[in-house]
Parts: sequence; C-alpha cells; structure tokens
Amino acid sequence: MENLVINLLNGLSYGMVLFLIASGMSIVMGAMNIINLSHGVLYMIGGYVGWTVAVKLGAPFALGLLAGGLAAGLVGLMLERGFLRFLYKQPNEQVLLSFGFVYILSNLSLWVWGGWPRMPFTAKFLSGSFEILGRAYPKARFATIVFGLVLAGILWWLQDRTRVGAMVRAGMDNKEITMGLGINLERLFAIVFFVASFIAGLAGVIGAQLLGVYNALGLEILLLALIVIIVGGVGSIQGALLGGILIGLVDAFGKALFPRFAMFTMYFTMIIVLLLKPRGLFGRKV
Amino acid sequence: MVASDREVVRGPEQVKWIQFAPYFAVATILVVLPLFLSSYTQGVMTRFLVFALFSAGYNLVFGYLGLPSLGHAAYFGAGGYAVAVLKLHYGTDLFWLGVPLGILTATLIAALFGLIALRVSGLYFLLVTFALGQLLFSVAWNVKWLNSPGMQGIAGLSFPSFGIPGLTVNSTSYYYLVLLITAFCILALHRIVCSPFGHALVGIREGEDRMRALGYNTWLYKYIAFIISGAFSGVAGVLFAYYNYMIDPNHLGVGTSFLPMCMAIIGGMGTLLGPVLGAAVIISVELVASIVTPDRWPLILGGIFVLTIMFARQGIGVYLVELSKRAGYPYGSTKG
Amino acid sequence: MEALKVDGLSINFGGVKAVNDVSFSVEVGERLAIIGPNGAGKTTLFNLINGQLSPTRGQIFFFGEDVSDLPTHQRAQLGQARSFQIISLLQNLTVLENTLLTLHGTKPHRFKMFRQIQDFRDVFEKAVYELKRVGLWEKRGDLVKNLSYGEQRRLEIHLGLSMEPKLLLLDEPSAGSTKEESADIIGIIKNLESDITVLIVDHDMEMVFELAERIMVLHYGEVIADGTPDEIQIDQRVREIYMGVEESTDHVGAC
Repeated sequence: MENLVINLLNGLSYGMVLFLIASGMSIVMGAMNIINLSHGVLYMIGGYVGWTVAVKLGAPFALGLLAGGLAAGLVGLMLERGFLRFLYKQPNEQVLLSFGFVYILSNLSLWVWGGWPRMPFTAKFLSGSFEILGRAYPKARFATIVFGLVLAGILWWLQDRTRVGAMVRAGMDNKEITMGLGINLERLFAIVFFVASFIAGLAGVIGAQLLGVYNALGLEILLLALIVIIVGGVGSIQGALLGGILIGLVDAFGKALFPRFAMFTMYFTMIIVLLLKPRGLFGRKV
Repeated sequence: MVASDREVVRGPEQVKWIQFAPYFAVATILVVLPLFLSSYTQGVMTRFLVFALFSAGYNLVFGYLGLPSLGHAAYFGAGGYAVAVLKLHYGTDLFWLGVPLGILTATLIAALFGLIALRVSGLYFLLVTFALGQLLFSVAWNVKWLNSPGMQGIAGLSFPSFGIPGLTVNSTSYYYLVLLITAFCILALHRIVCSPFGHALVGIREGEDRMRALGYNTWLYKYIAFIISGAFSGVAGVLFAYYNYMIDPNHLGVGTSFLPMCMAIIGGMGTLLGPVLGAAVIISVELVASIVTPDRWPLILGGIFVLTIMFARQGIGVYLVELSKRAGYPYGSTKG
Repeated sequence: MEALKVDGLSINFGGVKAVNDVSFSVEVGERLAIIGPNGAGKTTLFNLINGQLSPTRGQIFFFGEDVSDLPTHQRAQLGQARSFQIISLLQNLTVLENTLLTLHGTKPHRFKMFRQIQDFRDVFEKAVYELKRVGLWEKRGDLVKNLSYGEQRRLEIHLGLSMEPKLLLLDEPSAGSTKEESADIIGIIKNLESDITVLIVDHDMEMVFELAERIMVLHYGEVIADGTPDEIQIDQRVREIYMGVEESTDHVGAC
C-alpha cells in the first residue's frame, strides 16, 4: 500500500515535468506547424539559469524560476524571429535547423556551465520531507505536482478563455480563415513561441527539483517530450497532460515492478498507442 | 528543382561528353589519390565513402519518396552491431558472415519499424521515427550482451578477414573494398531510381492521391522503399564497424541519424549524387575541425546545419547539375 | 449490363449528411451527368465511388462486383479512371514522366526495380503516341506546372483515357477553361468508344446538355431528379433549386 502511494506520487510528479516540457512543444506544433527539436535544450537552459540564480547567487527559488523561464523564452524568441519564421511549412528544414541549435546551445552551455551535473535544488521551505504512511517523502516532489497542476490550469485558461487562445485554436483549424480575419499571424506566432519556450524554461527549473541539471538533459528530455506528444496527440493541453501523467506513471511503476526493463516501458506504451490510435489519445490532424 | 533523375525519361537525346567529365575526374581522384595518402587519411576517405553510401540509401526515402525519417541510424547501427557482436561473442571477423548478417539485421528492423512508422504521416512521422531510433539506442545502452565488459559499446573490432590464406586486409585494401561496394550500391540505387518503381516513389512524393487513383498501392511502395533504404544503411553500418575499431550506442542514436539528412540537403535531396557531395563536405569539415578544435566539433556541426538551411537549402549539387546541364543539354526547361 | 450500381450510399461529416441514401445504376456505355448547386455532394459522391472516402452506409458495385471495401488503387486496377476538379497532375514532374507513370500504373510490371523506365518499349511507344495525339510531344520535357491551364486539362483527360478505363469519372472537366477549350473537351468525350461509361460533374450546362444521355440532380446530398435532359429541363423541383441562381451556369471554376 505504501509502495503504491509512493509510486503513484513519483509517477505524478515526474509526469508533471513531462507535461510541462511537452505542452509547449505540442502547442507550437499544433498551432504553427513548427517542430522545434531544440525545445529540450531550452528546458536545460532554464534549469542552468535557475541554478545560477537560486543556488550560485543565493536568490530566492521563485526568482530562479522566473529567470529560467525568461532565459529560455528569450532564446526561443530569438530562434523563432531569427530563423524558424522563414521556414513555415518546411518540416525537413525545421528539424535540421533546430537540431543544429541542439548542438550549438548544448556546446555553449558546456562552455558556460561546465560538464559536471548539478544536484537537484529547491526552495528553502520546500527542502526536507513530509511523512506519508510512515515513509519520508520529499516536499519538493509535492511542489512539482502542485506547480504542474497550476500551470496546466493557467494554460487551459489561456487556450479556452482568452483571445490569444481562441486565435491559436482558429489557426489550428484553418490558417486561411485566421489570416482572413485580419489577425496578425506573425505576432501571434512570436507570442505563442515565446510562451512555449518560457514554459520550457520554467519546466527546467521545476524539473531540476527532481532531476538536477546536466548537459545531456536537453536531448533526453526532448525524447521524453516526443513520446508524450505521440501518446497524447499533437496540439492540445489535455493530450500533453494526459500523456505526461500516463508516461510518468508507466515509468514509475515500471521502475518499481520490472527494474530491468524500466527503460522500455514507455516505448512499449508509445507503440501500443501508435498501433491502436495512430494520432494519439487526443490527436488532431496535422 | 531536381534535375538529374529527370533526364532519364527525356528520351534518347544527344549526350555530350562534357557531361561526364566531372564524374571521370571524381572517379580518378577516388581511385588514385589514396595511394599517396597516410593510413589515417585513407581512414578519413573510407569514412567519407561509408557516409556517402549511408546518405545515398537514406535519400531514397528522404529525397525521392519525401519521407523525412529521423531514425535511420537505427539501421546503420544495427548493421554495425551485428558485426561487433560476431566479433565479441563468436570471435569471428569473417567478411562473408558479417555482411549478410548485418544486412539481414538492418533489413528486419527496418521492416518492423516501417510497419509502425508508416501508420502516421507528416510531423508525426518525424516524431515516431525519432523515438523508434532512440528505442534501439536505449536497447544497446541497457542490454549487457550488446556491450564489451566495462564500457558502453563494443570495442576491439578490426578489418574483416576473408578466410583466404595469405590475404590480410590493411587500410589501403579496405579502402578499395569499401570503394567497390559503395560504387556497386550507388549503381544499384541508380537502377532503382530510374525504374518504374523509383519513378513511382517520386510520383508519391508529388501527389499520393493521384498515384492511388492511377492504380498504385502507395503504402506498399513506401514500405518497400523504407526497407530497401534500411538495408543500404545496414551495408554502410557494416562497413563502418569494420574500420572504426568500435561501435557504441550513439551510432544508433539521433545524432547519427541527422548526418545523412544534412548531407542529402547540402548536396541536393532527390538526386543520386547529392548525398555523396554532401558527405564530402561534412567529412572534410570534420577532418579540419578534428585537427584544429576537437572540443568545438558539435558547435561547428550545429553551425553547418544552420548555415545549410539558411543558405544552401536547395543543395549545392543541384546547382552544379544545372551548370553541367547548360554545358551539355539542348533543353533549358528545368529551371522551374 | 450495369457498369456501376450504387445502393443506399450515405456519408456523414461530423453530423452533416453530405451524401444521403443515394441509389442509382449506370448502364455500360451510358453518359450520366450529375448536377446540383454548390455543396450538393457531387464531388463527395465521386470520392465515394473511387474509394477516396469510405461510406458510412451503403454499397457500390462495379460490373457486378462489390467494391465498397476496396482501396482506391484496386478500383483503378479494375478500370476506374478519374480526373479531378483541381488538376491533379504531378506538377513538379515532366509531361513525359506523368504520362509514363499513368501508363505504368495498371501494368503488372509497375513494381519492377532494376530496369529503367524507358526500357519498357511498349509503354514508351504508347506514351509517345499519346503525347503526339494531345499535341504535347514537343513539350514532353517541360514540367507540368509550366504548361498553360488548358494544356494541363487536356493532358489530364487524355491520360485518364490512356488508362483504357471502363468507367471515367470527370469532375468539372470544364472548370477554368475558355470556350474553345471546353469545346475541345466536349469533342474528346464525344469521340470516346461507346463502351466506356462516363460520369460527369459540371456547372457548365451547355456541356452537360451536349454530352449527357441522362442527368441526375443532387441537392443536399439527395437525388431529387433523375431522367433524360428533356425531362430534367421541365422538372419543377429542379427549376425551383436553380431559379434565381442562374449565375451558377457561368460561375465556372467555383467549388
């Protein structure tokens, strides 16, 4: 029983990190038809900047969170304005270019932050642990779940209740109509891309509470984001949330039940979903 | 845009000798130059040939069929791992065993992954091939049987043996072996590209619905092309493992998958020799970088990707073909 | 003998019945025109007949064989050819390549991998013959997208015919054409072998009445009239639908 609860919490907290990293990428794919493989590296940059601010400079964790998000958001904005906006509707070009930036940004981070991994860090009041059913459980993991749910709520609200959200949804359904309505797509895309990158940066700091930060993380987290998107379906917050939680749980229980095959449980889940519902659980046509 | 695969169906026009001059020049260089090079530089040229073959095979799916796979390193690496496992567990580096086993492994995996990946299209296809490639990476990383004791990957590989007494393979003879096989494979690809099958692939790229209405089972074409392309990648992987001394999970991963894609785009996708040209460009830069600043190679490689997309999206190969066309062809109609 | 029989065919798009319980049959060699206002479901009906869409309900028989579950390419193998409302030629390939791909499509050796496409002499000769007949032989090396609109239309229809189909589905063959080009297309269709069955969807009433032996009128996915051109002309419901929307006759090119 205790194990079940612990695994459930582990899965949920990890799943929230996965949701956060996947949501931005998924929205960018759905709304703008852009596939940005450097999304994982933006997460990593967020984590490193968050570490620098919150640990190295000793500022409050919340400030680290904000700094991480902003850093990733600005790098993302630069990518979109400087490069990706010239490549709309050219997926091959998008993937090669954005993967080029995976190399470039990873290597520059190696230069700036060095190769040694950063330990997980969190806010002062979140360090230490609760007691659950006689077991100690880190507060930071709870915080991750709360962060995740709050951000999911905000994103949901942005998507379904605001003008920008409505424009994004309209853009997913029909680009021509959106343009016909006189919506400035260029600006809309820049905003969406910035928000997505900002969330990736936030996710990097939030996830650092669990995973720390290290140089290979950019690529590892990208792969997880892709699996979550394949499982959940492109272009929806709901899909990313459900996919993230599902993959988080599968991973947690996989590690507990069959530790030798833990790496493959999420691939297995992905293949099953692909065979049953190729567009993912919440997929829309891309 | 793409011209070289088009002249074929233009009928028996007059072909001027000047058109072939560049090919003769390149062939001569490839045959003669290694005789004057150190074994290290011969190794670099072998590496070039291997990646030229990998990229040309990849381009069947990427350029001709228009399906951007991000997981072809899986088949490349599978070929290499087949050779490495033979050496590690069975102590043999017999060429006659390694090549068929490598091709078979790569082909089977491509046949399996193709079934899954071809269920989706568009951006999803990119995601799914990426993830499937990383699946194999993760297998190689985690399964003990696929690693030499105490390390990631399998080391201690060597040039193949042929089971013929008195015949040993060194870097020179291995280079010529690879040259022979690469040339043979590229000729085979040429035949495929010029056949009704190859033309159907281009047709599917340009308009799958129309091809269906004309009676083509487009799924089957895509699936077969995917497997063939995987098989050629496997050949490249086998040849790579024999000379590279070791193979590790990264050779199955997405980093390796991006190389043929970049080479194909640099040289000109949808052309047969574009990828070869692209491989020459990237391997040359790699050679220079490995001497000048090895730590910054990822930065440079990333820079190449970005510059390629921003400035050479059409492929320099296509530009060269246009040039030779103006020299040798009466038609000026492929400008569009 | 019936070339095509459609029985209770329906398809829903998100609750909208684009084609609703349509039944009809076409005799071998018959020339049937399907008309109706925009959005009546004409193109959807074509998509169902040649398998690009699968019906929610109903069956399709082609020369007595139930083809309801066959994919498009197999229906093409059985002898269905189609021209599209928006020209579907492969724009980035040459005229000759388009021709060869069309001719190879229904040949058993279309999967051949190690012989060059122009070495199949019989097919190549046929391509030469067809291109000379449409008057595009001189332009065989041109990319299709560099041809004029009329040339593309002519090529597409000729290629459809070169498949030697039993059933030809022509979706707005006159769309975007000039008067002369339309007349040209009418000439081609009139000269067809009498055993080829033809279904035409078009807004050009002149063309429809010139070619059709029988006209079927679709409205909101349902058949509201079916008869000879003379009967259709005096049909009360048809007149109601077309009344006041007279402009749809010269509104060619609209979808």
